[in-house]
Amino acid sequence: MKTCKKGMIGLGLLVSLLFPLGFGALAADFPTKPITFVIPYPAGGSTDVTGRVLVDAAKKDLSQPIISENKSGGGGTVGPALVLAKPPDGYTVGVSSGAVTIAWHMGKLNFNPLTDPTYIIRYTAYVFGMVVRADAPWKTIQEFVKYAKENPEKVTYGTPGVGTNPHLAVEELGILTGIKLTHMPFKGGAECNAALLGGHIDAVSDSTSWGPMVDAGKFKLLVAYGDQRMARYSKVPTLRESGYNMSYSSPMMIIGPKGMSQPVVKKLHDVLKKAMETPEFLEILKKYDMVPVYLNPEDCTQAVAKESEQIKRVVEKLGLLKK
Amino acid sequence: MDLPNYLLLGFQVAFQPQNLFYCFTGVIIGTLVGVLPGMGPVAAMSLLLPATFHISPVGAMIMLAGIYYGAQYGGSTTSILVNIPGEASSVMTCLDGYQMARQGRAGPALGIAAFGSFIAGTIGILGLVLIAPPLVNFALRFGPPEYFSLMVLGLTVLTFLTSASMVRALMMATFGLILGTIGLDTISGLARFSFNIPELLDGVGLVPVVMGLFGISEVLLNIETKIKREIFTTKVKGLLPSKKDWAQSIGAIFRGTFIGFFLGILPGGGAVISSFASYAIEKRVSKHPEEFGKGAIEGVAAPEAANNSAAQTAFIPLLTLGIPSNVVMALLLGALIIHGLTPGPLLLSQHPELFWGVVASMYVGNAMLLALNLPLIGIWVQLLRVPYTILFPLIVLFCLIGAYSINNSSFDVAIMLIFGIIGYLMKKLSLEAAPLVLAFVLGPMMETALRQSLIKSKGSFSIFFTRPISAICILVALALMVLPLLPWFRRRRPGISLDQEDVT
Repeated sequence: MKTCKKGMIGLGLLVSLLFPLGFGALAADFPTKPITFVIPYPAGGSTDVTGRVLVDAAKKDLSQPIISENKSGGGGTVGPALVLAKPPDGYTVGVSSGAVTIAWHMGKLNFNPLTDPTYIIRYTAYVFGMVVRADAPWKTIQEFVKYAKENPEKVTYGTPGVGTNPHLAVEELGILTGIKLTHMPFKGGAECNAALLGGHIDAVSDSTSWGPMVDAGKFKLLVAYGDQRMARYSKVPTLRESGYNMSYSSPMMIIGPKGMSQPVVKKLHDVLKKAMETPEFLEILKKYDMVPVYLNPEDCTQAVAKESEQIKRVVEKLGLLKK
Repeated sequence: MDLPNYLLLGFQVAFQPQNLFYCFTGVIIGTLVGVLPGMGPVAAMSLLLPATFHISPVGAMIMLAGIYYGAQYGGSTTSILVNIPGEASSVMTCLDGYQMARQGRAGPALGIAAFGSFIAGTIGILGLVLIAPPLVNFALRFGPPEYFSLMVLGLTVLTFLTSASMVRALMMATFGLILGTIGLDTISGLARFSFNIPELLDGVGLVPVVMGLFGISEVLLNIETKIKREIFTTKVKGLLPSKKDWAQSIGAIFRGTFIGFFLGILPGGGAVISSFASYAIEKRVSKHPEEFGKGAIEGVAAPEAANNSAAQTAFIPLLTLGIPSNVVMALLLGALIIHGLTPGPLLLSQHPELFWGVVASMYVGNAMLLALNLPLIGIWVQLLRVPYTILFPLIVLFCLIGAYSINNSSFDVAIMLIFGIIGYLMKKLSLEAAPLVLAFVLGPMMETALRQSLIKSKGSFSIFFTRPISAICILVALALMVLPLLPWFRRRRPGISLDQEDVT
């Protein structure tokens, strides 16, 4: 009897020692089936292409394939919403961007981007800029702003949509400089570029969809919104360099549902970080004039909170803040 | 611009063995995808996109383009055979094509659809080659006011779509307009009628709606009435269009090509609107408009020609300016970028072999499709002999799978089923679905264009009349609206009734 009891305690101790190994083993086993990667924009766009290349590069380090799915809609919010509705086992992850935070402040989101998603990694950011037609009378952003100041509400600018980052950026510029522009929203970059080409609007604020036009000499890039100049258009100053103390970029991050376990997050993060450094990924980023931007899960979560404050300010001034 | 040399270059590129292979693969996949209801070229192209990473840019473009216009061919097959539009642009083909199938004339219907598409494709390519640059400049002059006026013109065209009461058509159009408001509004950024359902933020999908309204409702109707097998196994009167069919359709084909050519180049315009417009115009100029909707072969020839030629001119803004005019083109844009080419005004001068190679391969692809589809007609017609007890569940199965495959979403399946029931009820009440679909497609574009124009003009409506293109469209629309009211007109066109109630 006594030996039995001793044996039981011993066995119990042994098992409890093995217990933490079990969690480790869980992560080591992960993944045991394919992972779904949700892209919140249609196929062929910059988010889609860069995201697919990233997870394709990550596949080599995982024993299971990562399958990309496009679930577009709601300006990039439908995808993350669908990811968050899945169980937090690490088998469903997706892309989230600054657009999600904007949508939240405008009251269009059914989750809280600060607390609900598990941020796995930040891998790049969209770059934005303002373009005008090549034959337009303004050669610099300062001339543009001066003209707009003298002619309030006469200058029209197009964006890919209301509440998108390029839209907010111009509105914030308006707050800083006191100019009043007339905003004409379109559905996506292609439409506003066509309208600018046809002479129906005066300027376009968008991410690099205008690239080919600038290269062909049909458009002029007046200013870049980010912290640094764009590698491809190194002669074009940033907003800060032009005297306007602001910068705008929208990060692309990979998220998972709330409550993912630490080992799984770490494994996904490590695999994706390695993928970020592969030549295929860097090549494809270059094609879109984007650069890799890396943040680990904690830093990413904090950055989202900080960016949320900036976004909230502009959305509030625009009068679009949710009640 | 040495045209013959460039064309020669294009054909040289297109006839390279590997490019011929890609073309063939593309059109086969496209046809299959078009035949399967729901799954459209976009889904197939995005699935195959990674596979194209390892082949040359020209080859990739040729294959993906082949999928696109192959799907146009395939979409007409299911429209004619089982009244399910495989593609949104095949909706109009359902109206007369299915009726022809029920009369045992599925063969001629399929044949004229294939031939019409081929002729349209050939003429379209010629036009593309000859007038692409001026055409593009013309298209660029279409700003929001011009779009609005064009949409108004499009909606008045629906007066010619209906075979019965105008009041009912307007009711359906209004229903379509309301449906079109569901989703995120472009101008204000607010969600309308979305009931907090994320999938509704992008609006109700067009493809599930038409699959339900036309396909599922037809199945429901047929299950209800005990149709004897005779209707479909009526002696198949020949597999190919007769001389009489040709005589009737040739004009329709040319008119359809012309309409599709110009509407296809407008961003946002495209194959769907072209097919509606050509059907309506065909009915308007016909000497026996009352036959439309009951199996008139022109009603198949015109929309098929239109949607094929629109599919070709849709490439022009992409290849000459780098501006995609619809979702498919946006995908091709992505494909070009992945291959290291930046589509834009420089593409034509830097990579002429790409532009001309794709153009030439479109001709080759059209020829391949004709050769593929004609022999298949016999097989398709045999398919109709399958007993209903097996055929209908199969149709429903394919529809369910197809609706899901559009966006990997079971929500679309639900939409399709709901509209299947609505379509069934509509048919019981003699309410036509065509005006609903047209208004559903045009409404959102019209509303956005209206508000963008008013933003530009600071609220003044005169902007629609001071710009020449816009003014012309509005005047033509007004004329079309007023014309049927004139007494001399009514006497000459007995088939178009204004307020005669439908006698079931």
